[in-house]
Amino acid sequence: MFTKLSDIDRMFGAMDLLRNRMDNLFDGIHRSFLSGPAVTLNSNSPRTNIVENGDNFEVQAEVPGISKDDLNIKIQGNYLEISGKRSVDTPDGYKVHRNERGGNTFSRSFTLPDELDADNVAATLENGILYLTLPKSETVTPKQITIN
Amino acid sequence: MSDRKDIAKKEDKAIEKTRELRTAIPSVDIYENEDAILLHADMPGVKKEDVSVNIDNGTLSLSGVRRLEKTGVSTWEEFSDVEYVRSFSIPQSIDVERVEAELKDGVLKLHLSKSEAAKPKMIEIKAA
Repeated sequence: MFTKLSDIDRMFGAMDLLRNRMDNLFDGIHRSFLSGPAVTLNSNSPRTNIVENGDNFEVQAEVPGISKDDLNIKIQGNYLEISGKRSVDTPDGYKVHRNERGGNTFSRSFTLPDELDADNVAATLENGILYLTLPKSETVTPKQITIN
Repeated sequence: MSDRKDIAKKEDKAIEKTRELRTAIPSVDIYENEDAILLHADMPGVKKEDVSVNIDNGTLSLSGVRRLEKTGVSTWEEFSDVEYVRSFSIPQSIDVERVEAELKDGVLKLHLSKSEAAKPKMIEIKAA
């Protein structure tokens, strides 16, 4: 007659299981963001990670097959734009069986929450990933207001 | 009271699950001419020592693991640690001894040379 708490526990356990299964079902949608080819985003935008690290923003962008000269990074205030052109590396004299890596020009822009100090930006291109360190501009550091 | 004891009992069915490495399919371009087959695969962020290329019995398998260094709290994360895996059936005519691989700028380029016996030959027709 008294509902045993262990029964209620078991009922919640079953609901948890159902919720996990549903999560896994919908997880599939998120999977493609982290692992599919960049082409699934709006035409030719390289996938990017942004990390806020105290005084800097660190941006990483997947740009395989691009050399330094093909990339363009533009910064203005709190606006960052990364664009570039991938040179076609189809070797001469070969017949093309499959071309999935197409897409030559790409571009992606961001409006970051804080103003950037454009003079102290560090950028490296390694293994096909562009690493940017963007320091925040001085005016952004919070000031303590003293009350008279 | 036995009910209280039930709540206090530890859930021993909880298995700790370590985060698995997601797998992704790298985009590839495949080119062919009469001497060789070329394969270019996009694997950004993968270092040379984390790539493995295997040819076994007519199947070519590529695998590249990328691990990113986590530098802080992510504001926006679209790509992370991933394992790029893809397999292909390759014709028996590939000379396995002479496969070359190069990893540059996050692109793995494979050069699979065809063995001499497989190259197309012109057959001459002798006039009878």
